[in-house]
Amino acid sequence: MSDDEQMYDEAMMEDEETALEIAALQSEDLLPPPKKEFINHKVALRALVDELSQKSLNWIQRCDVTSTEPIVVDKTENDLDRELKFYQQGLEAVIQAQLEVKKVGVPFSRPDDYFAEMVKSDAHMARIRQKLLDQQKGIQNSEEAKKQRELRKYGKKIEQEKLKEREDQKKASLDKIATIKKRLRSGDLGEVDDFEIDVASDDDGGNTKAKGARGKKGKDGKPMANKKRQLKNDKFGFGGKKRGLKKNTAESTSDMSGFSQKRNKSANFSAVHQRGKTKRPGKSKRQRTN
Amino acid sequence: MATLYKTAKSEYQDVDDVLEEREKRSDIKQRILMVASRGVTFRQRHLMNDLEVLLPHSKKESKVEAKQDIDILNELAEIQNCNNVFYFEARKHQDLYLWIARAPSGPSVKFHVQNIHTMDELKMTGNCLRGSRPVLSFDSNFDSEPHLQLLKEIFTQTFGVPKGARKSKPFFDHVFTFSVVDGRIWFRNFQIVEKDAQTGGDMAKNAKPTLVEIGPRFVLNTIRIFEGSFGGPTLYENPRYISPNVVRAAVRSQKATKYASRVADTQDREARARANPLPSDPLKDVFE
Repeated sequence: MSDDEQMYDEAMMEDEETALEIAALQSEDLLPPPKKEFINHKVALRALVDELSQKSLNWIQRCDVTSTEPIVVDKTENDLDRELKFYQQGLEAVIQAQLEVKKVGVPFSRPDDYFAEMVKSDAHMARIRQKLLDQQKGIQNSEEAKKQRELRKYGKKIEQEKLKEREDQKKASLDKIATIKKRLRSGDLGEVDDFEIDVASDDDGGNTKAKGARGKKGKDGKPMANKKRQLKNDKFGFGGKKRGLKKNTAESTSDMSGFSQKRNKSANFSAVHQRGKTKRPGKSKRQRTN
Repeated sequence: MATLYKTAKSEYQDVDDVLEEREKRSDIKQRILMVASRGVTFRQRHLMNDLEVLLPHSKKESKVEAKQDIDILNELAEIQNCNNVFYFEARKHQDLYLWIARAPSGPSVKFHVQNIHTMDELKMTGNCLRGSRPVLSFDSNFDSEPHLQLLKEIFTQTFGVPKGARKSKPFFDHVFTFSVVDGRIWFRNFQIVEKDAQTGGDMAKNAKPTLVEIGPRFVLNTIRIFEGSFGGPTLYENPRYISPNVVRAAVRSQKATKYASRVADTQDREARARANPLPSDPLKDVFE
């Protein structure tokens, strides 16, 4: 084989390869190329329509109605629009049919006392009704829940306002008391008590409170332990069963009443902060300073 | 003898009368044979049952295997004394094709049935008498093309319940709508409600009736129209019809190309890495 011939052969092979590549690329297109010719024998079809036609029959035997307007739907996927068009077409046909039937003098709708087997059984219709009822109920329930949620939100606001009001009142009355006390101390008591407050009794109350802070007297005359002490007594000693008290129970584990998300996330509660903040200095350091 | 003769004669007359009456009663005689192929799914079978219930002039046959020899359906129709055949042909346990044929001389149409919803669905709340006659409502798009005109005529003669048909009731309480949207034929079945929706009493004189859907729903995509019954020369071919097999294959091939392109990409990357090796670092051995 001469050099020329070899060159020619190689060129041919390359050509073939490129052709194959192109074919492969084309075959990757999603759908096969559409057929060029589609059969549509309009003449034959028309002839067939004429042959089959039963136009000569009375309307009451054919019962067909053609709409006046052709259906045009912009987007087939739009279910609501499409179904509405179908509905309108059907309704138009029904009204037309009623007129036609009236012309012939045949009853259109069945009389009320005409009972016969229906297409859907009673049991099936009961299921349909039940489903409708359930749907309605669901809607009602969700609406009720929505309302309750709103109410709760509103109720919280009201509660907060009330609390604030109470606090303000308390503060105001305390202020008044303080001013009165000041006046009393300075001996400048006016003839008229503008605030209409029983000063003496209020003073008494203040005293008892002060005493209470120092320690209430128990039944036996000894001062009663404060709340913290009481709790600790309950927990660690002074009567009652001790065994298993410190153990967690299912309830105590699931009890989240002492937990506040807000507090947990707050900066001065987080472990990192605490480590930095409250570090007790070492013993030597303490001794040095003291 | 005389009595014998008399009874025989009267019987003969009776038969004559009956025949005459039958002639008078049914000026158009349409009977539909409903057949399914083997391998129909339950939904497809229910659709057929629904149509059988709605069309009292239909006769259901047991399933047939007519893949090769579809002519057998013409014979079945003749045996059952039917002049129309609805053949529900299921393929691959998922695609449903509907043949509507006029036996024995044609024409016949093959449809692809899509978007099937049967009457069993609880969404459709209407109901109607079993065997009452439907009003057939056609979209005026049906008059635009010869093949649609033919389909309209075929639908009128098959879906319309003939007056005085056996088991039919002489009232109208539902309407079949046929509409052409997107080149396909959409079928709906509505109940005609002539009562006041709120009170349940009679309607006002001029008020329009309302419609409530009964079902079934389906969409017919025409594939071909043949001149004969289940065969013969093709008169019409739908250019917009794409076989569900082709659609599925396209989806599959799309998935396949995804993998192939990924493999090609990795190969490309490797080749690139090989073609451009990293330059050797002159300071690599400084600390050793």
